[in-house]
Amino acid sequence: MIWLTWRQFRAQAITAAAVMAVFAIVLAATASDLSGMYNSSGLLTCHGDACSGLASTFLSNLASNGGGFVIPGSPYAILYFLSVLVILIAPAITGVFWGAPLIARELETGTFRLTWNQSITRTRWLTVKLTLIGVAAMAVTEAFSLIQAWWAAPIGKAVGLGGGSSIFSEGRFGWFVFPTHGITPLGYAAFGFALGVTTGLVIRRAIPAMAVTLAIFAAVQFITPLWIRPNLFPTSQTVTTIAAAGANVSLRVNPKLAVTASVVPGQPGAWIISSDGVNAAGQPVSTIPAACEPVISGTLGSHSGSAAGPGSAAVNNCVASHGIRVAESYQPASHYWPLQWSETGMFLALALTLAGYCFWRLNRRT
Amino acid sequence: MTAVIETEGLGKQYRGRWALAGCTLSIPAGHVVGLVGPNGAGKTTLLNLATGELAPSAGTIEVLGNRPAAGPAQLARVGYLAQDAPLYAGLPVADHLRLGAHLNPGWDAGMARRRIERLDLDLRQKAGTLSGGQRAQLALTLATAKRPELLILDEPVASLDPLARREFLQDLMETVGEDQVSVVLSSHLISDLERACDYVIVLVDSRVRVAGPVDELLATHHLLSGPRRDPASLPAGLQVISASHTDRQSTLLVRTSGPVLDPAWAVSEVGLEDLVLAYMRQAARPAPRNDHRHLEVRK
Repeated sequence: MIWLTWRQFRAQAITAAAVMAVFAIVLAATASDLSGMYNSSGLLTCHGDACSGLASTFLSNLASNGGGFVIPGSPYAILYFLSVLVILIAPAITGVFWGAPLIARELETGTFRLTWNQSITRTRWLTVKLTLIGVAAMAVTEAFSLIQAWWAAPIGKAVGLGGGSSIFSEGRFGWFVFPTHGITPLGYAAFGFALGVTTGLVIRRAIPAMAVTLAIFAAVQFITPLWIRPNLFPTSQTVTTIAAAGANVSLRVNPKLAVTASVVPGQPGAWIISSDGVNAAGQPVSTIPAACEPVISGTLGSHSGSAAGPGSAAVNNCVASHGIRVAESYQPASHYWPLQWSETGMFLALALTLAGYCFWRLNRRT
Repeated sequence: MTAVIETEGLGKQYRGRWALAGCTLSIPAGHVVGLVGPNGAGKTTLLNLATGELAPSAGTIEVLGNRPAAGPAQLARVGYLAQDAPLYAGLPVADHLRLGAHLNPGWDAGMARRRIERLDLDLRQKAGTLSGGQRAQLALTLATAKRPELLILDEPVASLDPLARREFLQDLMETVGEDQVSVVLSSHLISDLERACDYVIVLVDSRVRVAGPVDELLATHHLLSGPRRDPASLPAGLQVISASHTDRQSTLLVRTSGPVLDPAWAVSEVGLEDLVLAYMRQAARPAPRNDHRHLEVRK
């Protein structure tokens, strides 16, 4: 059975190996230049506050020019996002191209009648297929992730040293960073593959199953950071001043007051899930204090009454002076690994559940 | 006589429709059994139940004394050539043989190789580019080289041209002649069965109309023609299978264990095709039946 699995999987395995090789070669070829830039940026020897300035300079250099490369634009910015994108879509690709046809193609072409009538049970057939190809999908995705993490280590260190706002500085909890680093790629890969196999078994047609797999997987990737990941672990709460939260007051039609915090005081690297304006008693405030209206009109000019972008310092100060503070709900940086484990565990459990369903369904013989 | 396939009240329901209902039959070992019947008689469903691809909705089925596809050992005892001989289009002939070798502990590599040589198949040719006849031959090689006790073939020649059909059946006969393997093959082409089978089961609407060794069936069925008369007036022991009448003459197909002695009748031999067709026609005639449930579900 191992031979048959390999024989049927060979072409896909070679394709994956080729993509992996291109990925690794491109990143390896640029890695020394990237770390050279890091080494010469002064970040190796800096101390204290000096570091964040140097880190910002390093990152903005990286974002705006190509270091030793003569390519217009920034090859690093392009490589960074492309490589993250590869890790992000790898579980979807393996689910769609390895998972969905696994059973569906056999059903579609009738070859299940050939294979399932050899001296081997369907359970064993599926066990070998799921294990070998599932592990391959997980290994490929995680390998992409590890290669990218190795390549992007200088960028990560600079962001960690306080390299403020640049296109690279999405933190570890970022939408694109969290599911592509650490151990989460394993969970996504297992889930994507099991999802593909299951839809293939249910729909019994490879092409529609591939489309459905892609749609469901994309929806899960969208839903997870919005509603699931923040709640995998209890959030921490704090109330602080607008200034300490690095917050900006903005105005929307309804509610009329929105406060967007950028840091949690004393919690570097925390993932802010929500921030709201509250009054001295801790009650949520949804309208701007009347006394601040003139200030608002001043900043908004003729656009008053419609939505407003980030508020000016004057608006922030006025709102703060009326006792409005920021209530933040966040996951501290120390929750990074617990959240990684929870999310990975959740997807592995989902994958196992789907696999169990496949075994049951395959043996139901209807 | 042991049975290779034994069913009792066997039924299979798909989305509320019974594809097979109340089927009770016993297929004896040591024969090449032809399972005939019109399209929709439940032949394929019956064979899919026998290979364990499907589980029964009602009744029981035993294959070689066991539940179909109960485990690797049971799977090893039954060889199956499914309709249209499914093969992996992208894999060459050699890889199909390797598949058989890897998945069957009882694989007879020598036999498989000899067959492929005799059939003159190119080992490197992809299965998808083989002709219909070659595909069927390769699939038969896979089904027989695992050395089964029972070989089940579902409409093996339905999609073949007449020449390939003849070659396939000839080859099948040679293959099963070498070992003591029981064969059950379904077909709606009766002429094919005449060539290959020594035992026939006529299945119409899930029901066995007639079953028996071909020579015995041919020896006990006679075509009588003579002056018109009421079939009811025939002597006991003559069972009328079909009757056609003109104004003055009657033609009857009868079953009897003894010779027909009445000199009023001209007795002639009947071919297997006419015999089978007569039983199928008999089933198609509206006739009172005991099992009304059966009639309802077929509608």
